[in-house]
Amino acid sequence: MGVGALALLAYALAFASPYGLRVLTVAGVYALATFGFQIVFGLGGALSLAQGAFFGVGAYVTGILGSRYGLGFEATFPLSMLVPLLLALPVGLAVLRLDSHYFALATLGIAQVLHLLAVNLPELTGGSNGLAGVPAAVLFGWAVPRGLPMAGLVWGLVALGGLIGWRLARGRLGRSLTMLRDDPLAAATLGLDVGRLRLAAFGISALFAGAAGALAVHTQRVVSPEVLEFPVMISILTVAIVGGRGRMAGAVVGAVLLLHLPEWFRFLERGYLVVYGAALLATVVLAPEGLTGLLDRIAARLAGRRPRAMADAKEPPLPPIRSEGLTVEGLRKSFGGVRAVDGVSLDLRPGTVTGLIGPNGSGKSTVVNLLSGLERSDAGRVLLGGREVTGARADRLARAGLARSFQAAALPQGAGVLEAVAAARLAFDPDTATAEAHARWALDRLGVGHLAGQSCDGLPAALRRRVELARALLRRPAVLLLDEPAAGLTDGEKAELAALLRELAGEGMAILLVEHDMGFLLPLAGRVLCLDRGRVIYDGPADGVRHDVAVSAAYLGSSRSNPAVSA
Amino acid sequence: MAALQLLVNGVALGAAYALVALGFVLVLNATSAVNFAQGDLVMAGGLLAAALAPLIPLPGIVLLPVVLVLMAALGLLLALAAYLPLRRRPPVSVFISTIAVGIILQNGAAILFGPEPRAAPPLFGDDTLHIAGLAVPEQSLAIVAVAALLIGAQQWVFARTQLGRRLRATAQDPEMARACGVPVTAMILVTFAIGTACAGAAGLLLANRYFVTPTSGGDLILKAYIAVTVGGWGSVPGAVAGALLIALFEVGVSSVLSYPMALGALYLTLLAVLVLRPQGLFGEAVRRRG
Repeated sequence: MGVGALALLAYALAFASPYGLRVLTVAGVYALATFGFQIVFGLGGALSLAQGAFFGVGAYVTGILGSRYGLGFEATFPLSMLVPLLLALPVGLAVLRLDSHYFALATLGIAQVLHLLAVNLPELTGGSNGLAGVPAAVLFGWAVPRGLPMAGLVWGLVALGGLIGWRLARGRLGRSLTMLRDDPLAAATLGLDVGRLRLAAFGISALFAGAAGALAVHTQRVVSPEVLEFPVMISILTVAIVGGRGRMAGAVVGAVLLLHLPEWFRFLERGYLVVYGAALLATVVLAPEGLTGLLDRIAARLAGRRPRAMADAKEPPLPPIRSEGLTVEGLRKSFGGVRAVDGVSLDLRPGTVTGLIGPNGSGKSTVVNLLSGLERSDAGRVLLGGREVTGARADRLARAGLARSFQAAALPQGAGVLEAVAAARLAFDPDTATAEAHARWALDRLGVGHLAGQSCDGLPAALRRRVELARALLRRPAVLLLDEPAAGLTDGEKAELAALLRELAGEGMAILLVEHDMGFLLPLAGRVLCLDRGRVIYDGPADGVRHDVAVSAAYLGSSRSNPAVSA
Repeated sequence: MAALQLLVNGVALGAAYALVALGFVLVLNATSAVNFAQGDLVMAGGLLAAALAPLIPLPGIVLLPVVLVLMAALGLLLALAAYLPLRRRPPVSVFISTIAVGIILQNGAAILFGPEPRAAPPLFGDDTLHIAGLAVPEQSLAIVAVAALLIGAQQWVFARTQLGRRLRATAQDPEMARACGVPVTAMILVTFAIGTACAGAAGLLLANRYFVTPTSGGDLILKAYIAVTVGGWGSVPGAVAGALLIALFEVGVSSVLSYPMALGALYLTLLAVLVLRPQGLFGEAVRRRG
């Protein structure tokens, strides 16, 4: 990175013509706008097509205030960042919880409305001709002239913005965003507030775009509806993807490269965007990690992968108040007329293991989804630690002391084991280093400490389950819901899992186990509930379930004894 | 009477929009891929018709099959370049690859044809009929008839033929369809071809009365998208109804205020629909895929 910065500096000082400097300045402007886009889209996965529009709004704020009202840089620059932010927040609140393609559409709609406004409000914006005579940026009484000084100002801000963006990306915000990009449901059950994180990312993207727009206008000295047109958005998107998704260095590499491309394809005139389209398509298909990703891979091949320094394992603190477990009364949920869960009541006491069984489709997984807040119940009351949490969202329940696992262990693709586990403490710990130290403790406790440096991809099923369990355990939950944790394990592994669960219950955890494997479940559970078509048909001691007529009937549809139950 | 006149204009515009939305929904249902290039494909169809017109000096109805075939071929190319290599990747990869194709089409068209608006020949004639005091351009009638015919033919293929059954099976559950011996990749290619041919037809129909420029695609994809969102994501009848609705809205509001105002109001309505009823006005038709 240092080499690249020096090369840019040498080029700017020694070789660049005034025109070359201008291209370099504009490249800096785009790098700055793309930093924000990397956070909202690259890390957060929300394809915002309003980044170009926020850029345009920042440009118009500086243009209008500078040329019409004669305000100086010290006022216009912060306002150029503030106005897009104020626009982004209400819009984000409204649309950020939507599916990704709806979000793309909604942001595109906003961009179109803003463009229409700019063209159709000539008293304010100068209409389609725009406004000329925007003053230079004035810093401490010095009007920054075009050429080297302006390039210096822009690239100074690029360095500052890049540093801020890099720190955000590496810190809790960046990790949390990646987590919810890869698996929003799992992120919520780990206690991350998906809506708030996305809103923060969207707001930050608007700040960067506004700053870039302001600098663009100081470079051009005019502002016209062109700054709100789709090519700006296309350029930002292309810079981000070609440079490398989610990376600040990628934004710089992509911007410098792509802003110089049109110079090499000058015969195409405005059609240079064809080249952008082709570069975008080729990158998505052939090198989805972008140029910086490619460079990384080459470097890794040449120098070998450097093992990352890892913090020492540290036991995470127990939550101050131990909860009184989870109490559920009269839980109901229908899907389009089918009663999936019909009046289920249960009580998970601290220090106990409760089993939940039932034939396929009897509503077990729906119960777990309702208890963990992934589905909303139609009726019923839920108390967690004595407090009413009926209808609470998954992330709030998680922060209140509830953890769950998924039937198919949900680990993000391509992430390291330590990173994936540490994600479970992003909502609790002050920084990522602490979260990783705690994650090592949980991995050690499950006997898989040696996996910390590995990737989640390609782990065998049994190890994946342990890693996921480490993730659930790490938050020291008061209540733990496990959805078929023994599926696919060998007998030896099952015995180890059973011992671990006993130990956890011994420490005061309340555990709910959804299981098919009676040989594993019955010796472990104190109490067992059996569901059939959403209703509880058995609720009593584990050893009574084998001889219960209703349970056998539910499994077999008759009163004969059930081989699965009596095995 | 004025209201009736607006209705006639609105229905003709809506019929063309319906074709745009239909192509979009077909691809969406078959692949769960959101094709952001659909609007630019419509533009490409319009410009193709405008470019072919001097070579084949016949009414538009004769051009239509040529445009359909050429656009279907473009659809195959689109699937091969921008969808099939990415089918195992997260959906956002396909958003971006289709955005990229849209950029290439739009700016390629600008290089080839220049930025001037162009018109395609009318389907039959340019005359305007006067029926009971209403001015009904022949082209409007022809648009409605051709769009209805194409949509009807498509419904027939989907409902009644072996190909249609296979296409529907692929749309419903590609894994299951493959297990049942349906050649899923071929079906996806066919879907892209039909969807793009729809876009081509819409382009030809729209490019006579409303002209076409290389940048027309952006507005059209938004309208297709709005029609599909309003009609219920993934619903074919919903998309057609949604297209008619937005065309009537556009024609109605522009007659009272202005076209930009109508467009602005349309986008604001869309935002309101997304926030208040993300499942569409008529309910969600497509279930979520894993």
